[in-house]
Amino acid sequence: MDNKEFEEKIFELATYAVVSARNLLEEPARYGPFRLVDTVSRLVEILETADMSSERLEGLGKRIEDGKYTAMGTEAEYRDFLESLVSFLVEEIGREGKQ
Amino acid sequence: MEVLEAIKGRRSVRSFEDRPVEKEVLVLLMEAGVWAPSGGNAQTWRFVLVTDKETLRKIKMVSPGLLGRPPAVIVICQDVKEALQKGGTMGSETLTKMDSAMCAQNIMLTAHSLDLGTCVIASFHPKAVQELLSLPAETVPQLLVSVGYPKRVPSAPKRKTEGIYFFEEYHG
Repeated sequence: MDNKEFEEKIFELATYAVVSARNLLEEPARYGPFRLVDTVSRLVEILETADMSSERLEGLGKRIEDGKYTAMGTEAEYRDFLESLVSFLVEEIGREGKQ
Repeated sequence: MEVLEAIKGRRSVRSFEDRPVEKEVLVLLMEAGVWAPSGGNAQTWRFVLVTDKETLRKIKMVSPGLLGRPPAVIVICQDVKEALQKGGTMGSETLTKMDSAMCAQNIMLTAHSLDLGTCVIASFHPKAVQELLSLPAETVPQLLVSVGYPKRVPSAPKRKTEGIYFFEEYHG
């Protein structure tokens, strides 16, 4: 992916995030966390395509892709999913000093 | 396919194969859509069928609810000026939304019967979609329906049936 393509992908993501912010003023509150997590998923996908990713970002991206639609399930299921992402990230933060 | 089988089998699909939907199939979906009921038989719906990759990319940017990469998106619009003339403010503000929803369901059930996956989307920026598709001011997009051959079909969420309907009188 060259710089122009990379800029286009980031522009797409930025537009998605800004339109989400605007629409969320009237949308169900639960859509907010979904859009945030989906933004991360899209960002990771862009970085992967640009060969700028890492094992932990890919791990995060895969976890999000596997579970993001729990947002359509019960609140407890979605909370558990988001908690599992936080646990994964905290584990990764903990590894930083040990590498 | 029996109607109840189609109703129960339809899922909201957000993962699609990279394979186009044939034009004649999209036309068939349009036929199903316009056979939906409409308030006062107004039939003020208008449709834009988007299959061009570049246009899809732009629509997706301003439609947070449009997930995955569908090869086609049906934009269900309403001519609110005509709806106002035909049905007053109730027609333009309320009935058009109901008509669009009933139309979308017809489209989705027919698509399901043809092994296509769909997802109905209300999370988009109407003015942005209007501009990107060169829609006139009175033609307001109300729903998007993504259409494509499903790559992944989600399982059905549970349906609540207890305590939600009552015969003769509400006693919840």
